[in-house]
Amino acid sequence: MELQLQYFLLLAAFLFCIGIYGLITSRNAIRVLMSIELMLNAVNLNLMAFSNYLDPENIKGQVFTVFVITVAAAEAAVGLAIVLAIYRNRDTVDMEQFNLLKW
Amino acid sequence: MLSALILIPFIGAGLLAVLPNRFSSSQVKWVAIAIASLAFVVNIIVGYQFDPNQISFQFEEVIPWIDGIGFNYHLGIDGLSLSLLFLNSFLTVLALMSSDRDLPRPRLYYALMLLINVGVSGAFIAQDLLLFFLFYELEIIPLYLLIAIWGGKRRAYAATKFLIYTAVSGILILAAFLGIAFLSGANTFDYETLRSAGLPFEIQLVLLIALLIGFGIKIPVFPFHTWLPDAHVEASTPVSMLLAGVLLKLGTYGLLRFGLGLFLEAWSYLAPWLAVAAAISALYGASCAIAQQDMKKVVAYSSIGHMAFILLSLAATTRLSIIATICQTIAHGLISALLFFLVGVVYKKTGSRDVNQLRGLLNPERGLPVTGSLTILAAMASAGIPGMVGFVAEFLVFRGSFPIFPIPTLFCMVGTGLTAVYFLLMINRVFFGRLSDMVTYLPPVGWGDRVPAIALSIIIFILGIQPNWMVRWSEAQVGRLIAPETVAQVTVLNPKGD
Amino acid sequence: MDVVTLASQLNAGTIIPEGIVTLTLLVVLVGDLIAGRKSASWLPYVAIVGLLGAIAALFVQWNGTSDTIAFLGAFNGDALSIVFRGIVVLSTIITVLVSISYVRQSGTSLSEFLSILLAATIGGMFLCGASELVTVFIALETLSIASYLMTGYTKGDVRSNEAALKYLLIGAASSAVFLYGASLLYGLAGGETQLDRIGIALSQIETPAIAPVVALVFVICGIAFKLSAAPFHQWTPDVYEGSPTPVVAFLSVGSKAAGFAFAVRMLVTAFGSLTEQWHFIFAALAVLSMILGNAVALAQTSMKRLLAYSSIAQAGFVLIGLIAGTESGYASVIFYLFAYLFMNLGGFACVILFSLRTGTDRISDYAGLYQKDPLLTLTLSICLLSLGGIPPFVGFFGKIYLFWAGWQAELYGLVLLGLITSVISIYYYIRVVKMMVVKEPHEMSETVKNYPEVSWNLPGMRPLQVGIVLALVATSLVGILANPPIDLAKASVQRSPILQASISPAKEVAVSRFAPVQSSEFRVQN
Repeated sequence: MELQLQYFLLLAAFLFCIGIYGLITSRNAIRVLMSIELMLNAVNLNLMAFSNYLDPENIKGQVFTVFVITVAAAEAAVGLAIVLAIYRNRDTVDMEQFNLLKW
Repeated sequence: MLSALILIPFIGAGLLAVLPNRFSSSQVKWVAIAIASLAFVVNIIVGYQFDPNQISFQFEEVIPWIDGIGFNYHLGIDGLSLSLLFLNSFLTVLALMSSDRDLPRPRLYYALMLLINVGVSGAFIAQDLLLFFLFYELEIIPLYLLIAIWGGKRRAYAATKFLIYTAVSGILILAAFLGIAFLSGANTFDYETLRSAGLPFEIQLVLLIALLIGFGIKIPVFPFHTWLPDAHVEASTPVSMLLAGVLLKLGTYGLLRFGLGLFLEAWSYLAPWLAVAAAISALYGASCAIAQQDMKKVVAYSSIGHMAFILLSLAATTRLSIIATICQTIAHGLISALLFFLVGVVYKKTGSRDVNQLRGLLNPERGLPVTGSLTILAAMASAGIPGMVGFVAEFLVFRGSFPIFPIPTLFCMVGTGLTAVYFLLMINRVFFGRLSDMVTYLPPVGWGDRVPAIALSIIIFILGIQPNWMVRWSEAQVGRLIAPETVAQVTVLNPKGD
Repeated sequence: MDVVTLASQLNAGTIIPEGIVTLTLLVVLVGDLIAGRKSASWLPYVAIVGLLGAIAALFVQWNGTSDTIAFLGAFNGDALSIVFRGIVVLSTIITVLVSISYVRQSGTSLSEFLSILLAATIGGMFLCGASELVTVFIALETLSIASYLMTGYTKGDVRSNEAALKYLLIGAASSAVFLYGASLLYGLAGGETQLDRIGIALSQIETPAIAPVVALVFVICGIAFKLSAAPFHQWTPDVYEGSPTPVVAFLSVGSKAAGFAFAVRMLVTAFGSLTEQWHFIFAALAVLSMILGNAVALAQTSMKRLLAYSSIAQAGFVLIGLIAGTESGYASVIFYLFAYLFMNLGGFACVILFSLRTGTDRISDYAGLYQKDPLLTLTLSICLLSLGGIPPFVGFFGKIYLFWAGWQAELYGLVLLGLITSVISIYYYIRVVKMMVVKEPHEMSETVKNYPEVSWNLPGMRPLQVGIVLALVATSLVGILANPPIDLAKASVQRSPILQASISPAKEVAVSRFAPVQSSEFRVQN
């Protein structure tokens, strides 16, 4: 049996939803960053699947994925740097403690 | 030529703002008066060269400003604007003269006064709807600051109230202007072009109602009037003079020029309601004035009552009543400015405006005899005693409106009768009777405090005896504004017929 | 295909302005490496010269070739992108001017700040012209990551840390959502990443499908985050309050302008067939932004938070022009952003100067400032009044043009709401003016009583003064000379093929519906 495109898309959507759930519920800043990585990986999966099924000659989706991975790494690096800075100043990475700036 | 009327005070205001600190308050004042007088002289030259028989706009200046939206810097005057323009530059000079000599922060004060002059002059000569709106809005912030900085005790409240009311009036007017520019399909804001646009009746009605409320706030008409007494009471004397003398006239001028001029058909449909509103406003202003204890509030409410006459004659829309509108505008401008000035003098000399505290100020030795006599004269003028400009104007108003709206006119006449009542009550309490022995000598009234009042009184007399000088500019214009003699029956709009 | 033909196909000349900025970035980095700490005195001027060079290059391009597509369709250097890139670069120039003394006083390294700012500028400039999904994504992230870094630039300041973390988390999440939408677009278009081809592919989906709309919503999440339009605005007040003020100045203008350019290109090209849907969504965003921004701004006590909510509200106003979708609609967006550039940056420059001299940005601390610092009071008053749309400043003309365009496109409700909310905005802007100008000497705040002697001789103050005066002059005079910039904005719309294709002829006709009398005039215009 050949795998159909829909399965990949469903898996990606599922991953994306897990990411959003984690984003909303996490209190730890690192976990929030990880949830965002999960969302980006859902995107990667989507792109790879589309690239494989719809665009097998130019494989633009795969190129796109490489870029997404690279940028995600940069984003994570910056994010971790900021988390580190905040940990040094505040001794915590708990999101609920970050309340100096009121809505 | 007309640009000079805007540029002189505008550049003057900039000049005053950067004047070095070492100039004293009274020196700054004289510079400001010189600038305003220069504008007045230019105004006289314009008036001299003006041809009253020519019905189209004169001294026109057109410079494209923003082509994309059909917005031009288009100035021009006709008879309607000219007399108001005179009133404005004349009253500005007098208001500047009557400002305190040792005022705090003089440079800002006089610069703002001149900016108001810019806004009002510009609004009177703008022949482009957006340009009018620009000048109309231009005057808000200076007046706000003038009230908020140099006002009385509750100045912050009064200034904010003024700001909100006027800003609301501004957006209604802007909405109506945008509406007419688009719905007519002309894609321009040029007044003359839009006059011949010919909108469907329902659209005219909607736009006209927006304009009526917008300008109605400015005039002010009951129930949009509540900002005015507060603003007047808190504002200093010169600001009150300008506010009552010319700023309120922007409302009636706007209605005449844009309400009546652009939406004649809808105007005649709504006219009966306007007349009713005018009658209510007149009676309301008069009866409130009777109950006031503060002299300035009496004058402020009387102002509401007298502005209603202008609305009444505007509503009547006959040739005579439009002329009456102009007369009443000028008469009210002069008389209310005089009254506010005199009340200011009384306040300055006695430290009170409360009619229950003041007494016997007419006392020739220790009181304020000249001021008192002039107040009596101003009250007579306001009540419409023959021989003064108030009589001519009110007579024309009632003569012009009675055939069209007899009942509202009758009510307004009652309002004018009440004018005599409340002013006599005020004068009786404040000026007659025995001056308390506790008061030794009131500070003498110098010539600086007399000249503006005497100048205004003389003009009031001259125009009362020779009203022709006031109306000859506008007679030719009026016919053009209301194409046929009476508009009440007009059903087909034919602006090109004249 | 040999290298030479490939190189000629790339049409790399289109990105010369970006190249100049990149070169400047390298010069700043290397200069700092070689000259060390001493370089801080001349590096900002290198950056400014480089940015001016970029503007010159943009000017040459404006008059230059008609072949605007570069890098095989990945970048479109059309007139629209040139104008927006110009706005981004201008905002960077003013930001550099006003940031020198601030960064110096905060005790951080100036050259690093400049390099990150220039990197953000490059990202913003590419975003203005990107017309292919991968390029869009890279440009967007370059801008965003540089912005996160700048937001957290004062490392020792807890508030700056917190603002940076919030900005990063919300920003990364929104770009992930945007990417998900982009991946769906890639699939829906059958493996195309160029925006125009995606547009064609989407228009060929005949049956009413839900998938394009889902992609649209995801993409709009990413855009609205950059524009800080409600309800994607939550980060704005916090980031504005917490981060260094010059950064906020850049975020509020440069980053927002790039976001608008991106929004126009993305929505018009790729979602041309879903115009109704995105107009509807943006109308909702505009309504929410105008109401929420203006209403919440009333209650603010911090100047920077006030400006944050005001910028949300301003985004709502600008959206009206975008929704109008007519030639004057897009032109009014450009003109308003141009006006906004000067008045908002002028406002921020004054806030920077005030906080440099006093160390606070509470509104009540401004009380009675006119006595101590007339220039600051005048500039801040004029910039705020201009933001409130008071004539004769540039904001008035910008707003009139926006509302005019909106009204022309028959968006009566939105325009009326815009008019009403701008009255509210006058109220809170004038509150600050009142605080500064109206208060009597004895009501002066403690901060102002201790206000230092006004002196422009401290290092870094001259450029700040230049920035303030520049903003003051532009805010007061551009309105009076409004015709050339508006003509420029209109020309940029007329010369951009993507916009010309989208401007539906139906709308222009609809305006003349009421005008049987004027029909002859209309024929002449057409």
